[in-house]
Amino acid sequence: MSEKLQTIQPGAPGAAMDMHEEIKTPMKVMTQRFLKQRNSVIALGFILFLVVLAFIGPLIVPFDVNQYDYSAILQGPSSTHWFGTDEFGRDLFSRIILGTPISLAVGLSAVTIGAVTGTVLGLLSGYYRGWIDAVVMRICDTLFAFPGIILAIAIVAILGSGLYNVVIAVAVFSTPTFARIVRSRTMAIKESVFVKAAINLGASDARILFKHILPGAIPDIIVQYTMSIGTSILTASSLSFLGMGAQPPTPEWGLLLSNGRQYIATNIYTTIFPGLAIFFTVLSFNTLGDGLRDALDPKLTE
Amino acid sequence: MLKYTSRRLLGMILTLFLVTTCVFFFVRLIPGDPARLVAGEQATEADVLAVRAQLGLDEPVTTQYLKYISGVVQGDLGTSLRTKRPVAEEVGYRYGNTLKLTFLSLGWGTVAGVVLGVWSGRNRGKWQDYTGMATAVSGISMPSFWMGFLLIMVFSVKLHWLPTTGAAGFQSYILPAITLGTSIAAIIARFTRSSIVETLKEDYIRTARAKGLSENVVVWKHAFRNSMLSVVTVVGLQFGFLLGGAVIVEAVFAFPGLGSLLIQSVNYRDYPAIQSLILIFSAQFIIINTLVDMLYATLNPEIKLS
Repeated sequence: MSEKLQTIQPGAPGAAMDMHEEIKTPMKVMTQRFLKQRNSVIALGFILFLVVLAFIGPLIVPFDVNQYDYSAILQGPSSTHWFGTDEFGRDLFSRIILGTPISLAVGLSAVTIGAVTGTVLGLLSGYYRGWIDAVVMRICDTLFAFPGIILAIAIVAILGSGLYNVVIAVAVFSTPTFARIVRSRTMAIKESVFVKAAINLGASDARILFKHILPGAIPDIIVQYTMSIGTSILTASSLSFLGMGAQPPTPEWGLLLSNGRQYIATNIYTTIFPGLAIFFTVLSFNTLGDGLRDALDPKLTE
Repeated sequence: MLKYTSRRLLGMILTLFLVTTCVFFFVRLIPGDPARLVAGEQATEADVLAVRAQLGLDEPVTTQYLKYISGVVQGDLGTSLRTKRPVAEEVGYRYGNTLKLTFLSLGWGTVAGVVLGVWSGRNRGKWQDYTGMATAVSGISMPSFWMGFLLIMVFSVKLHWLPTTGAAGFQSYILPAITLGTSIAAIIARFTRSSIVETLKEDYIRTARAKGLSENVVVWKHAFRNSMLSVVTVVGLQFGFLLGGAVIVEAVFAFPGLGSLLIQSVNYRDYPAIQSLILIFSAQFIIINTLVDMLYATLNPEIKLS
């Protein structure tokens, strides 16, 4: 096989052009399959709504989020304060809306950092194997050896509390999963004919890795990315809840919930609404992730 | 088999060693001077020196490291800055609570997850499947601290049936176990469902149905039994995960376990305690995962041990 392929002249446009045309069709199939899953489409709609809300939030909130009003503390929902007020009389509805960009930004930035780092590590270790692979996989094993949120807590304990450190902690926490997924994909794709052809054509390693192997790993990365955002938002709000993330008066959802717990006997809404906000956001990302997985995985169809 | 086992055990020991080393450097990674941080802002130079000596930070790093490793091997977890007593003492007192909570959560979570997963899987594409999987994805997406509060609101504040905090008596375990077990049940349900769906496509299932066996027998005796191996693996991995994942639930219910001890230690900047707890959490996680892997390899005839 490889002898035949060697006869193709370097720089011949044929191979690359054909690939582009072929990629179009699976894309359409995937979109159709995704659109069939009503739950995931709704979830996507909700996520887009949250993104819009994150941008226009400051313009539409009915109250100043840090405005104290001691004549209206710990009120239940009313026509003025839709979600009620907190212990300082601040409007909970406004605070939850302004918490949207925080949770989205923390989740997206942490997972993006983790995904990029993990993908590069996975590509390198799956392609070169040898000592790079051994080192990367040992690092992953070591990171995987800290169960769940423990690794994030350890990192925040080193770096100190605060949202930026939470982003770093969650990024480190999500890196090894991407590295493992991309590595196993890379090892599989490396053996395929088109990669061997590219090697024989004398393509550079960087070209092979990013132009030929990476596109094959993209579906797995997208699914893992979407799923990880839900987990990251949950982890980040948990850390804020524990007092290790956002600090008052930031209207971060986990922190809002944590504040509300002292007033559990007087005003339950201060814990119910922030919790609902986290729940629906994480649920949407997880549902979208499920839908993407089913749409991208050909094995799952009948 | 012997070769496989010894290779796995060697790998486990190597990871344990790497984790221990990481945890050792953990305190040394704190920006600034940990001794000054612990002693407080108003501390005199003498106080800082005393704390530094107490943390063992006044010696060369290699000496510190060797001392630390030999201490860990002998079960010496250092002295807590908060209680001024050996960390091992408090860990010993709380370990049982966390272990009990973990077993309770894992127990009901597994049963609920398997039942939900089989129910969804055998009714693939029908309303039962959608309900089951919607429940499962909700269980995964639910913030455990929020769920804990909702339970406290209903069962403690409104109904006065169950205590809100502590670990005194069986009643105080119920709400934390429900909270902790929910996400486990959800994960196991999703896994069981896909495993059942795959197994129901097999030829021997068609044979069993053709023999005229009832659907219950086909599902539970033939399909579930064959998917059990992978379900057992997930349950095993969840066990290790739970031991660490209890942190938030323990914090919500002020449950005297290892997780709430970790949170207290972080808030107090009790570095020796944080160090030991993280080491304990990850060591048990590594050991359990290796054992589960080995068990899986032993039980599964399809895996070649090489």
